[in-house]
Amino acid sequence: MNAAHRQPAEPKFEPLLQFEMEMGTFLSDWHHCDQLSTYMARMISHNRTDPLRHSNFFSSALNELLEVSFRGGSPEGRIGCAVYRHGPKERVKISFPCPAGQRQFFREAVARTHGNDAYARYLDALSTDLAPSREVVLLDLAINFDAEIRLEEQDPPSITIVVDLPLEGIVS
Amino acid sequence: MLAAPFQAEFDANSQEFSFAGVVRPRSVDEIAHSISMFRNAIEEARGVLYINVKRLAQMNNTAFHAFSRVVLDACRTRSDIRFVVVTSSVVGWTERMFRHLGKIEPQITVEVYDSKFYPGQAFVEDTSFIPILRTQTKMTWRHERKILPRHGMRPGITMADICCGIGDFAVLVRKEFQPARIVALDHSKASLAYARDVASNFGISDIEYSYGDASEMLLEDNQFDLVTCRHSLQIFNQPDLLLKELYRICKPGGRVYITNEKNSHCLGEPRAQSIQWTYNEVARLFAHFEMDVELGPKSRRYLADAGFDDILVESFMVTNQDGDPQDFADIITAWENVYAGEMAVKRGDPPEFIKRFRQGFRDHIFAALHPKGYAGWPIWAASGRKPL
Ligand SMILES: C[S@@+](CC[C@H](N)C(=O)[O-])C[C@H]1O[C@@H](n2cnc3c(N)ncnc32)[C@H](O)[C@@H]1O
Repeated sequence: MNAAHRQPAEPKFEPLLQFEMEMGTFLSDWHHCDQLSTYMARMISHNRTDPLRHSNFFSSALNELLEVSFRGGSPEGRIGCAVYRHGPKERVKISFPCPAGQRQFFREAVARTHGNDAYARYLDALSTDLAPSREVVLLDLAINFDAEIRLEEQDPPSITIVVDLPLEGIVS
Repeated sequence: MLAAPFQAEFDANSQEFSFAGVVRPRSVDEIAHSISMFRNAIEEARGVLYINVKRLAQMNNTAFHAFSRVVLDACRTRSDIRFVVVTSSVVGWTERMFRHLGKIEPQITVEVYDSKFYPGQAFVEDTSFIPILRTQTKMTWRHERKILPRHGMRPGITMADICCGIGDFAVLVRKEFQPARIVALDHSKASLAYARDVASNFGISDIEYSYGDASEMLLEDNQFDLVTCRHSLQIFNQPDLLLKELYRICKPGGRVYITNEKNSHCLGEPRAQSIQWTYNEVARLFAHFEMDVELGPKSRRYLADAGFDDILVESFMVTNQDGDPQDFADIITAWENVYAGEMAVKRGDPPEFIKRFRQGFRDHIFAALHPKGYAGWPIWAASGRKPL
Protein backbone atom coordinates (compact mmCIF):
# COMPACT_ATOMS: atom_id res chain seq x y z
CA MET A 1 0.00 0.00 0.00
CA ASN A 2 0.94 3.63 -0.30
CA ALA A 3 1.34 4.03 3.39
CA ALA A 4 3.99 1.35 3.37
CA HIS A 5 6.01 3.37 0.90
CA ARG A 6 5.76 6.51 2.90
CA GLN A 7 6.97 4.96 6.14
CA PRO A 8 9.46 2.32 5.17
CA ALA A 9 11.41 1.98 8.38
CA GLU A 10 8.82 2.16 11.14
CA PRO A 11 10.75 1.62 14.37
CA LYS A 12 9.62 -1.08 16.73
CA PHE A 13 7.56 0.39 19.54
CA GLU A 14 7.22 -1.84 22.61
CA PRO A 15 3.83 -1.93 24.30
CA LEU A 16 3.85 -0.60 27.87
CA LEU A 17 0.30 -0.28 29.05
CA GLN A 18 -3.24 -0.15 27.78
CA PHE A 19 -6.80 0.22 28.88
CA GLU A 20 -10.18 -0.19 27.28
CA MET A 21 -13.60 0.74 28.54
CA GLU A 22 -17.18 1.27 27.44
CA MET A 23 -17.47 4.72 25.98
CA GLY A 24 -20.68 5.21 27.96
CA THR A 25 -18.82 4.59 31.19
CA PHE A 26 -15.96 6.85 30.17
CA LEU A 27 -18.38 9.66 29.32
CA SER A 28 -20.19 9.34 32.63
CA ASP A 29 -17.58 11.38 34.49
CA TRP A 30 -15.33 14.14 33.24
CA HIS A 31 -12.77 13.35 35.92
CA HIS A 32 -11.93 10.10 34.18
CA CYS A 33 -9.66 12.12 31.88
CA ASP A 34 -7.65 13.47 34.78
CA GLN A 35 -7.58 10.22 36.70
CA LEU A 36 -6.59 8.04 33.77
CA SER A 37 -3.91 10.40 32.53
CA THR A 38 -2.40 10.80 36.00
CA TYR A 39 -2.40 7.08 36.63
CA MET A 40 -1.06 6.00 33.25
CA ALA A 41 1.60 8.70 33.27
CA ARG A 42 2.85 7.54 36.62
CA MET A 43 2.91 3.90 35.56
CA ILE A 44 4.86 4.42 32.36
CA SER A 45 7.30 7.00 33.74
CA HIS A 46 8.80 5.07 36.62
CA ASN A 47 11.83 3.98 34.62
CA ARG A 48 12.45 7.26 32.85
CA THR A 49 15.49 9.33 33.86
CA ASP A 50 13.38 11.77 35.86
CA PRO A 51 10.18 9.88 36.66
CA LEU A 52 8.36 12.74 38.38
CA ARG A 53 8.85 15.29 35.69
CA HIS A 54 8.32 12.82 32.89
CA SER A 55 5.06 11.81 34.45
CA ASN A 56 3.95 15.42 34.85
CA PHE A 57 4.71 16.20 31.22
CA PHE A 58 3.18 13.01 29.89
CA SER A 59 0.05 13.42 31.94
CA SER A 60 -0.49 16.88 30.44
CA ALA A 61 -0.38 15.53 26.91
CA LEU A 62 -2.42 12.41 27.58
CA ASN A 63 -5.08 14.36 29.41
CA GLU A 64 -5.60 16.60 26.38
CA LEU A 65 -6.05 13.55 24.17
CA LEU A 66 -8.53 12.02 26.57
CA GLU A 67 -10.40 15.29 26.74
CA VAL A 68 -10.54 15.38 22.94
CA SER A 69 -12.12 11.94 22.89
CA PHE A 70 -14.46 12.90 25.70
CA ARG A 71 -15.69 15.92 23.81
CA GLY A 72 -15.72 14.37 20.35
CA GLY A 73 -16.68 10.76 20.97
CA SER A 74 -20.09 9.13 20.70
CA PRO A 75 -21.49 7.00 23.52
CA GLU A 76 -21.74 3.66 21.71
CA GLY A 77 -18.71 1.44 21.49
CA ARG A 78 -15.47 1.37 23.38
CA ILE A 79 -12.57 3.68 24.00
CA GLY A 80 -9.10 2.20 24.01
CA CYS A 81 -5.79 3.78 24.86
CA ALA A 82 -2.40 2.16 24.56
CA VAL A 83 1.07 3.49 25.27
CA TYR A 84 4.19 2.19 23.55
CA ARG A 85 7.83 3.09 23.84
CA HIS A 86 10.75 3.29 21.49
CA GLY A 87 13.91 4.85 22.91
CA PRO A 88 13.19 8.38 24.09
CA LYS A 89 9.71 8.39 22.57
CA GLU A 90 6.32 7.29 23.79
CA ARG A 91 3.54 6.55 21.34
CA VAL A 92 -0.04 6.97 22.45
CA LYS A 93 -2.78 5.34 20.40
CA ILE A 94 -6.21 6.41 21.40
CA SER A 95 -9.27 4.92 19.65
CA PHE A 96 -12.83 5.97 20.18
CA PRO A 97 -16.12 5.91 18.28
CA CYS A 98 -16.87 9.17 16.62
CA PRO A 99 -19.82 10.41 14.54
CA ALA A 100 -19.29 10.37 10.78
CA GLY A 101 -19.54 14.15 10.63
CA GLN A 102 -16.58 14.51 12.93
CA ARG A 103 -14.18 12.40 10.97
CA GLN A 104 -13.47 14.98 8.32
CA PHE A 105 -12.93 17.48 11.08
CA PHE A 106 -10.31 15.30 12.73
CA ARG A 107 -8.56 14.69 9.41
CA GLU A 108 -8.23 18.41 8.86
CA ALA A 109 -7.14 19.15 12.39
CA VAL A 110 -4.43 16.49 12.23
CA ALA A 111 -3.28 17.72 8.81
CA ARG A 112 -2.93 21.24 10.18
CA THR A 113 -0.47 20.12 12.81
CA HIS A 114 1.89 19.35 9.91
CA GLY A 115 1.35 22.65 8.11
CA ASN A 116 3.96 25.39 7.91
CA ASP A 117 1.48 27.77 9.42
CA ALA A 118 0.83 25.62 12.50
CA TYR A 119 2.47 28.06 14.90
CA ALA A 120 0.76 31.10 13.37
CA ARG A 121 -2.58 29.35 13.67
CA TYR A 122 -1.89 28.44 17.24
CA LEU A 123 -0.99 32.01 18.21
CA ASP A 124 -3.98 33.31 16.35
CA ALA A 125 -6.32 30.97 18.20
CA LEU A 126 -4.78 31.94 21.54
CA SER A 127 -5.23 35.61 20.86
CA THR A 128 -8.75 35.48 19.45
CA ASP A 129 -10.73 32.38 20.42
CA LEU A 130 -12.80 32.28 23.54
CA ALA A 131 -12.31 28.59 24.17
CA PRO A 132 -9.85 26.17 22.64
CA SER A 133 -11.16 24.15 19.71
CA ARG A 134 -10.07 20.56 19.26
CA GLU A 135 -7.84 21.80 16.47
CA VAL A 136 -6.00 24.03 18.90
CA VAL A 137 -5.58 21.17 21.32
CA LEU A 138 -3.81 19.14 18.65
CA LEU A 139 -1.71 22.16 17.68
CA ASP A 140 -0.82 22.55 21.34
CA LEU A 141 0.49 18.97 21.40
CA ALA A 142 2.51 19.51 18.24
CA ILE A 143 3.97 22.82 19.40
CA ASN A 144 4.40 22.46 23.14
CA PHE A 145 5.15 18.74 23.29
CA ASP A 146 6.88 18.33 19.91
CA ALA A 147 4.28 15.68 19.11
CA GLU A 148 3.98 13.92 15.78
CA ILE A 149 0.32 13.24 15.14
CA ARG A 150 -1.49 11.04 12.63
CA LEU A 151 -4.84 9.44 12.19
CA GLU A 152 -5.86 5.84 11.51
CA GLU A 153 -9.33 5.10 10.27
CA GLN A 154 -9.42 1.37 9.45
CA ASP A 155 -12.20 0.54 11.80
CA PRO A 156 -15.21 2.86 11.53
CA PRO A 157 -17.01 4.21 13.42
CA SER A 158 -13.84 4.34 15.52
CA ILE A 159 -10.93 6.55 14.73
CA THR A 160 -7.46 6.23 16.17
CA ILE A 161 -5.24 9.18 16.89
CA VAL A 162 -1.58 8.19 17.03
CA VAL A 163 0.69 10.61 18.84
CA ASP A 164 4.44 10.26 19.21
CA LEU A 165 5.81 12.21 22.14
CA PRO A 166 9.60 12.70 22.51
CA LEU A 167 9.27 13.78 26.12
CA GLU A 168 12.34 12.08 27.56
CA GLY A 169 14.48 14.42 25.48
CA ILE A 170 12.56 17.49 26.58
CA VAL A 171 12.45 16.59 30.26
CA SER A 172 16.06 15.63 30.86
CA MET B 1 1.86 13.70 40.41
CA LEU B 2 0.32 16.44 42.42
CA ALA B 3 -3.20 15.71 43.53
CA ALA B 4 -3.28 19.16 45.09
CA PRO B 5 -6.47 21.07 44.53
CA PHE B 6 -6.35 24.15 42.39
CA GLN B 7 -5.53 27.42 44.12
CA ALA B 8 -5.66 30.92 42.73
CA GLU B 9 -4.56 33.72 45.05
CA PHE B 10 -3.77 37.36 44.85
CA ASP B 11 -1.26 39.05 47.07
CA ALA B 12 -1.91 42.76 46.71
CA ASN B 13 1.30 43.75 48.51
CA SER B 14 3.56 42.10 46.03
CA GLN B 15 1.08 42.46 43.14
CA GLU B 16 1.43 38.78 42.56
CA PHE B 17 -1.31 36.48 41.37
CA SER B 18 -0.43 32.84 41.82
CA PHE B 19 -1.85 29.68 40.40
CA ALA B 20 -1.06 26.33 41.99
CA GLY B 21 -2.17 22.72 41.84
CA VAL B 22 -4.17 20.97 39.16
CA VAL B 23 -6.84 22.68 37.09
CA ARG B 24 -8.55 20.66 34.38
CA PRO B 25 -12.08 22.01 34.06
CA ARG B 26 -14.58 20.72 31.53
CA SER B 27 -15.86 24.19 30.90
CA VAL B 28 -14.89 27.72 31.83
CA ASP B 29 -17.85 27.96 34.21
CA GLU B 30 -16.06 25.72 36.68
CA ILE B 31 -13.30 28.28 37.10
CA ALA B 32 -15.48 31.38 36.80
CA HIS B 33 -14.67 32.40 40.34
CA SER B 34 -10.90 32.32 39.84
CA ILE B 35 -11.26 34.14 36.56
CA SER B 36 -13.14 36.98 38.12
CA MET B 37 -10.61 37.14 40.97
CA PHE B 38 -7.92 37.36 38.34
CA ARG B 39 -9.77 40.16 36.53
CA ASN B 40 -10.18 42.11 39.74
CA ALA B 41 -6.52 41.69 40.58
CA ILE B 42 -5.57 43.13 37.22
CA GLU B 43 -7.92 46.03 37.72
CA GLU B 44 -6.35 46.80 41.07
CA ALA B 45 -2.78 46.43 39.87
CA ARG B 46 -0.55 49.32 38.87
CA GLY B 47 2.70 48.97 36.98
CA VAL B 48 3.68 45.32 36.96
CA LEU B 49 1.50 42.34 37.84
CA TYR B 50 3.38 39.14 38.52
CA ILE B 51 1.68 35.93 37.50
CA ASN B 52 3.25 33.09 39.43
CA VAL B 53 2.73 29.65 37.91
CA LYS B 54 5.70 27.97 39.60
CA ARG B 55 3.53 25.49 41.42
CA LEU B 56 0.99 24.99 38.72
CA ALA B 57 1.25 21.24 38.23
CA GLN B 58 -1.43 20.82 35.59
CA MET B 59 -3.62 23.20 33.60
CA ASN B 60 -5.62 22.00 30.62
CA ASN B 61 -6.14 23.98 27.44
CA THR B 62 -9.59 25.08 28.54
CA ALA B 63 -8.21 26.81 31.61
CA PHE B 64 -5.08 28.05 29.86
CA HIS B 65 -7.15 29.75 27.18
CA ALA B 66 -9.53 31.27 29.69
CA PHE B 67 -6.77 32.81 31.82
CA SER B 68 -4.76 33.86 28.78
CA ARG B 69 -7.85 35.56 27.43
CA VAL B 70 -8.06 37.74 30.53
CA VAL B 71 -4.42 38.80 30.31
CA LEU B 72 -4.50 39.44 26.58
CA ASP B 73 -7.70 41.49 26.85
CA ALA B 74 -6.15 43.52 29.63
CA CYS B 75 -3.14 44.28 27.44
CA ARG B 76 -5.49 45.68 24.84
CA THR B 77 -7.34 48.00 27.17
CA ARG B 78 -4.57 48.94 29.59
CA SER B 79 -1.37 50.26 28.11
CA ASP B 80 -0.16 51.21 31.62
CA ILE B 81 0.27 47.67 32.88
CA ARG B 82 2.88 45.01 32.30
CA PHE B 83 2.69 41.33 33.10
CA VAL B 84 5.54 39.10 34.20
CA VAL B 85 4.69 35.43 34.10
CA VAL B 86 7.01 33.48 36.39
CA THR B 87 7.32 29.84 35.41
CA SER B 88 9.48 27.14 36.92
CA SER B 89 12.18 25.19 35.16
CA VAL B 90 10.89 22.16 37.04
CA VAL B 91 7.47 22.04 35.42
CA GLY B 92 8.59 21.89 31.83
CA TRP B 93 5.34 22.42 30.03
CA THR B 94 4.47 25.69 31.76
CA GLU B 95 7.44 27.47 30.27
CA ARG B 96 6.67 26.05 26.84
CA MET B 97 3.03 27.05 26.98
CA PHE B 98 3.20 30.46 28.60
CA ARG B 99 6.06 31.79 26.50
CA HIS B 100 3.63 32.19 23.58
CA LEU B 101 1.82 34.96 25.41
CA GLY B 102 4.92 37.13 25.15
CA LYS B 103 4.92 36.57 21.40
CA ILE B 104 1.38 37.90 21.17
CA GLU B 105 1.65 40.94 23.42
CA PRO B 106 4.91 42.77 24.15
CA GLN B 107 3.47 43.88 27.51
CA ILE B 108 3.86 40.27 28.67
CA THR B 109 7.21 38.79 29.57
CA VAL B 110 7.82 35.24 30.66
CA GLU B 111 10.59 34.47 33.13
CA VAL B 112 11.92 31.18 34.28
CA TYR B 113 12.45 31.28 38.01
CA ASP B 114 15.65 29.49 38.61
CA SER B 115 18.97 29.29 40.27
CA LYS B 116 19.08 32.77 41.72
CA PHE B 117 15.96 32.46 43.79
CA TYR B 118 17.78 32.68 47.07
CA PRO B 119 21.09 34.20 47.96
CA GLY B 120 23.35 31.20 48.60
CA GLN B 121 22.05 29.08 45.76
CA ALA B 122 24.90 29.61 43.35
CA PHE B 123 27.52 28.38 45.84
CA VAL B 124 25.78 25.23 46.86
CA GLU B 125 24.84 24.20 43.35
CA ASP B 126 28.36 24.65 42.16
CA THR B 127 30.13 21.52 40.99
CA SER B 128 33.09 22.29 43.24
CA PHE B 129 30.81 21.05 46.03
CA ILE B 130 30.70 17.52 44.67
CA PRO B 131 33.95 16.25 46.22
CA ILE B 132 32.98 17.74 49.59
CA LEU B 133 29.62 16.08 49.61
CA ARG B 134 31.11 12.74 48.79
CA THR B 135 33.63 12.70 51.59
CA GLN B 136 31.16 14.23 54.05
CA THR B 137 28.58 11.52 53.47
CA LYS B 138 31.21 8.83 53.76
CA MET B 139 32.11 10.12 57.23
CA THR B 140 28.65 10.92 58.52
CA TRP B 141 27.28 7.57 57.36
CA ARG B 142 29.19 5.69 60.06
CA HIS B 143 27.10 7.55 62.61
CA GLU B 144 23.85 7.91 60.75
CA ARG B 145 23.43 4.25 59.89
CA LYS B 146 23.25 3.57 63.62
CA ILE B 147 20.87 6.35 64.53
CA LEU B 148 18.54 6.28 61.52
CA PRO B 149 16.34 3.40 62.80
CA ARG B 150 15.46 5.58 65.81
CA HIS B 151 14.17 8.19 63.38
CA GLY B 152 11.84 5.95 61.41
CA MET B 153 14.15 4.22 58.96
CA ARG B 154 13.24 0.58 58.35
CA PRO B 155 12.93 -1.88 55.46
CA GLY B 156 9.97 -1.62 53.13
CA ILE B 157 9.18 2.06 53.70
CA THR B 158 8.55 4.70 51.09
CA MET B 159 11.06 7.49 51.48
CA ALA B 160 12.26 10.70 49.91
CA ASP B 161 15.65 12.33 50.27
CA ILE B 162 15.14 16.00 49.54
CA CYS B 163 18.20 18.05 48.54
CA CYS B 164 19.89 14.73 47.87
CA GLY B 165 23.05 16.25 46.38
CA ILE B 166 25.01 13.60 44.55
CA GLY B 167 22.70 10.88 45.78
CA ASP B 168 25.21 8.86 47.77
CA PHE B 169 23.04 8.84 50.88
CA ALA B 170 20.18 7.31 48.87
CA VAL B 171 22.52 4.60 47.58
CA LEU B 172 23.78 3.80 51.09
CA VAL B 173 20.28 3.73 52.54
CA ARG B 174 19.03 1.49 49.76
CA LYS B 175 21.76 -1.03 50.46
CA GLU B 176 21.52 -0.96 54.24
CA PHE B 177 17.78 -0.60 54.83
CA GLN B 178 16.06 -1.72 51.63
CA PRO B 179 13.20 0.73 51.50
CA ALA B 180 10.46 -0.09 48.98
CA ARG B 181 10.78 3.21 47.17
CA ILE B 182 13.26 6.08 47.19
CA VAL B 183 12.69 9.42 45.54
CA ALA B 184 15.79 11.63 45.60
CA LEU B 185 15.34 15.25 44.63
CA ASP B 186 17.78 18.09 44.10
CA HIS B 187 17.99 21.35 42.23
CA SER B 188 21.47 20.88 40.85
CA LYS B 189 21.48 19.28 37.43
CA ALA B 190 25.20 18.57 37.72
CA SER B 191 24.79 16.70 41.00
CA LEU B 192 21.84 14.73 39.65
CA ALA B 193 23.76 13.76 36.54
CA TYR B 194 26.56 12.55 38.79
CA ALA B 195 24.06 10.68 40.97
CA ARG B 196 22.47 8.91 38.02
CA ASP B 197 25.86 8.00 36.70
CA VAL B 198 26.98 6.46 39.98
CA ALA B 199 23.68 4.58 40.29
CA SER B 200 23.92 3.15 36.81
CA ASN B 201 27.52 2.10 37.38
CA PHE B 202 26.31 0.12 40.36
CA GLY B 203 23.44 -1.31 38.34
CA ILE B 204 20.91 0.55 40.47
CA SER B 205 17.83 1.57 38.55
CA ASP B 206 15.18 1.95 41.23
CA ILE B 207 16.16 5.23 42.86
CA GLU B 208 13.99 7.94 41.36
CA TYR B 209 16.29 10.92 40.93
CA SER B 210 14.32 14.02 40.20
CA TYR B 211 15.13 17.62 39.39
CA GLY B 212 13.04 19.86 41.56
CA ASP B 213 12.83 22.78 43.90
CA ALA B 214 12.58 21.68 47.49
CA SER B 215 10.55 24.71 48.46
CA GLU B 216 7.96 24.12 45.73
CA MET B 217 7.87 20.40 45.12
CA LEU B 218 5.65 18.63 42.67
CA LEU B 219 5.29 15.65 44.94
CA GLU B 220 1.90 14.72 46.28
CA ASP B 221 0.81 15.32 49.85
CA ASN B 222 1.04 12.59 52.49
CA GLN B 223 2.98 9.98 50.58
CA PHE B 224 6.25 9.18 52.38
CA ASP B 225 6.88 7.25 55.57
CA LEU B 226 10.19 9.03 55.97
CA VAL B 227 11.43 12.26 54.44
CA THR B 228 15.10 13.00 54.93
CA CYS B 229 16.77 16.33 54.29
CA ARG B 230 20.41 16.45 55.19
CA HIS B 231 22.61 19.51 55.65
CA SER B 232 20.20 21.57 53.67
CA LEU B 233 17.74 23.38 55.90
CA GLN B 234 20.73 25.42 56.99
CA ILE B 235 21.43 26.73 53.51
CA PHE B 236 17.94 28.08 52.84
CA ASN B 237 17.23 31.63 53.82
CA GLN B 238 13.74 30.51 54.82
CA PRO B 239 14.15 27.06 56.40
CA ASP B 240 10.58 27.14 57.66
CA LEU B 241 9.23 27.16 54.11
CA LEU B 242 11.28 24.14 53.22
CA LEU B 243 10.21 22.34 56.37
CA LYS B 244 6.59 23.02 55.50
CA GLU B 245 7.10 21.22 52.20
CA LEU B 246 8.77 18.27 53.91
CA TYR B 247 5.83 18.12 56.29
CA ARG B 248 3.37 18.23 53.42
CA ILE B 249 4.78 15.24 51.54
CA CYS B 250 5.21 13.16 54.71
CA LYS B 251 2.42 10.71 55.62
CA PRO B 252 0.54 11.39 58.83
CA GLY B 253 2.33 9.21 61.36
CA GLY B 254 5.51 9.32 59.25
CA ARG B 255 8.67 11.21 60.15
CA VAL B 256 10.83 13.98 58.77
CA TYR B 257 14.55 13.63 59.51
CA ILE B 258 16.92 16.57 59.19
CA THR B 259 20.61 17.02 59.86
CA ASN B 260 22.31 20.37 60.33
CA GLU B 261 25.53 21.83 61.68
CA LYS B 262 26.65 24.40 64.13
CA ASN B 263 29.80 25.45 62.38
CA SER B 264 31.16 27.65 65.14
CA HIS B 265 31.44 24.49 67.24
CA CYS B 266 33.91 22.78 64.96
CA LEU B 267 36.99 22.21 67.06
CA GLY B 268 40.50 20.88 67.21
CA GLU B 269 43.57 20.44 69.34
CA PRO B 270 46.28 21.64 69.05
CA ARG B 271 45.81 25.20 67.73
CA ALA B 272 42.32 25.42 69.19
CA GLN B 273 42.11 29.21 69.15
CA SER B 274 42.91 29.75 65.51
CA ILE B 275 40.49 26.99 64.59
CA GLN B 276 37.73 28.47 66.68
CA TRP B 277 38.25 31.94 65.26
CA THR B 278 37.91 30.66 61.71
CA TYR B 279 34.73 28.69 62.35
CA ASN B 280 33.12 31.64 64.08
CA GLU B 281 33.89 33.53 60.91
CA VAL B 282 32.41 30.71 58.80
CA ALA B 283 29.10 31.19 60.59
CA ARG B 284 29.24 34.94 59.93
CA LEU B 285 30.18 34.43 56.32
CA PHE B 286 27.19 32.19 55.72
CA ALA B 287 24.95 34.60 57.58
CA HIS B 288 26.09 37.27 55.14
CA PHE B 289 24.60 35.13 52.37
CA GLU B 290 21.50 34.50 54.47
CA MET B 291 22.36 30.92 55.36
CA ASP B 292 22.31 29.74 58.95
CA VAL B 293 25.01 27.12 59.47
CA GLU B 294 24.37 27.44 63.20
CA LEU B 295 20.98 25.84 62.76
CA GLY B 296 21.70 22.40 64.28
CA PRO B 297 20.59 23.05 67.88
CA LYS B 298 17.61 25.04 66.61
CA SER B 299 16.20 21.90 64.96
CA ARG B 300 13.92 21.20 67.88
CA ARG B 301 12.29 24.60 67.64
CA TYR B 302 11.96 24.45 63.85
CA LEU B 303 10.33 21.02 64.00
CA ALA B 304 7.97 22.07 66.77
CA ASP B 305 6.97 25.26 64.98
CA ALA B 306 6.29 23.28 61.82
CA GLY B 307 3.73 21.16 63.66
CA PHE B 308 5.66 17.95 64.33
CA ASP B 309 5.29 15.94 67.52
CA ASP B 310 7.38 13.20 69.12
CA ILE B 311 10.50 15.24 68.31
CA LEU B 312 13.83 13.54 68.78
CA VAL B 313 17.10 15.50 68.63
CA GLU B 314 20.56 14.05 68.97
CA SER B 315 24.04 15.09 68.01
CA PHE B 316 27.15 13.29 66.97
CA MET B 317 30.71 14.35 66.30
CA VAL B 318 32.49 13.39 63.13
CA THR B 319 36.18 13.25 64.03
CA ASN B 320 39.58 12.48 62.65
CA GLN B 321 39.29 9.13 64.43
CA ASP B 322 36.41 8.00 62.20
CA GLY B 323 38.49 5.93 59.82
CA ASP B 324 41.22 7.61 57.84
CA PRO B 325 42.21 11.06 59.26
CA GLN B 326 43.03 12.07 55.70
CA ASP B 327 39.31 11.90 54.86
CA PHE B 328 38.65 14.42 57.58
CA ALA B 329 41.47 16.59 56.25
CA ASP B 330 40.01 16.37 52.73
CA ILE B 331 36.69 17.75 53.92
CA ILE B 332 38.43 20.70 55.53
CA THR B 333 40.47 21.36 52.40
CA ALA B 334 37.28 21.42 50.37
CA TRP B 335 35.71 23.85 52.88
CA GLU B 336 38.73 26.10 52.70
CA ASN B 337 38.51 26.18 48.92
CA VAL B 338 34.87 27.13 48.80
CA TYR B 339 34.57 29.30 51.91
CA ALA B 340 37.85 31.20 51.73
CA GLY B 341 38.51 30.80 48.03
CA GLU B 342 35.05 31.69 46.74
CA MET B 343 32.60 32.97 49.30
CA ALA B 344 34.89 35.33 51.21
CA VAL B 345 36.17 36.69 47.91
CA LYS B 346 32.62 37.23 46.79
CA ARG B 347 31.85 39.10 50.00
CA GLY B 348 34.80 41.35 49.21
CA ASP B 349 36.99 40.44 52.18
CA PRO B 350 40.50 41.95 52.30
CA PRO B 351 43.51 39.66 51.71
CA GLU B 352 44.66 39.86 55.36
CA PHE B 353 41.31 38.53 56.49
CA ILE B 354 41.34 35.73 53.95
CA LYS B 355 44.83 34.78 55.01
CA ARG B 356 43.86 34.44 58.65
CA PHE B 357 40.61 32.76 57.66
CA ARG B 358 42.52 30.14 55.67
CA GLN B 359 44.94 29.60 58.53
CA GLY B 360 42.20 28.25 60.79
CA PHE B 361 41.28 25.58 58.24
CA ARG B 362 44.95 24.64 57.89
CA ASP B 363 45.25 24.38 61.66
CA HIS B 364 42.19 22.18 61.73
CA ILE B 365 43.87 19.92 59.17
CA PHE B 366 47.05 20.02 61.24
CA ALA B 367 45.09 18.87 64.28
CA ALA B 368 43.37 16.16 62.27
CA LEU B 369 46.61 14.71 60.96
CA HIS B 370 48.64 15.21 64.15
CA PRO B 371 49.43 11.86 65.79
CA LYS B 372 48.11 13.11 69.11
CA GLY B 373 45.63 15.58 67.67
CA TYR B 374 41.86 15.64 67.72
CA ALA B 375 39.60 17.34 65.22
CA GLY B 376 35.83 17.38 65.30
CA TRP B 377 32.79 18.47 63.31
CA PRO B 378 29.53 18.30 65.27
CA ILE B 379 26.21 17.48 63.63
CA TRP B 380 22.66 17.58 64.92
CA ALA B 381 20.26 14.93 63.68
CA ALA B 382 16.63 15.50 64.48
CA SER B 383 13.27 14.18 63.46
CA GLY B 384 9.64 14.74 64.21
CA ARG B 385 6.45 12.85 63.55
CA LYS B 386 3.68 14.33 61.49
CA PRO B 387 0.60 13.95 63.70
CA LEU B 388 -2.01 11.44 62.59
C1 LIG C 1 24.90 21.13 51.48
S1 LIG C 1 24.23 20.21 50.17
C2 LIG C 1 23.68 18.71 50.94
C3 LIG C 1 23.54 17.59 49.99
C4 LIG C 1 23.25 16.20 50.58
N1 LIG C 1 22.01 16.15 51.32
C5 LIG C 1 24.40 15.73 51.42
O1 LIG C 1 24.29 15.76 52.64
O2 LIG C 1 25.42 15.36 50.85
C6 LIG C 1 22.78 21.07 49.77
C7 LIG C 1 22.06 20.55 48.55
O3 LIG C 1 20.85 21.27 48.40
C8 LIG C 1 20.62 21.43 47.03
N2 LIG C 1 19.66 22.50 46.84
C9 LIG C 1 19.86 23.81 46.97
N3 LIG C 1 18.74 24.49 46.72
C10 LIG C 1 17.80 23.59 46.42
C11 LIG C 1 16.44 23.69 46.08
N4 LIG C 1 15.82 24.86 45.99
N5 LIG C 1 15.77 22.56 45.84
C12 LIG C 1 16.38 21.35 45.91
N6 LIG C 1 17.67 21.22 46.24
C13 LIG C 1 18.38 22.33 46.50
C14 LIG C 1 21.96 21.70 46.46
O4 LIG C 1 22.00 21.47 45.07
C15 LIG C 1 22.83 20.75 47.26
O5 LIG C 1 22.95 19.51 46.61
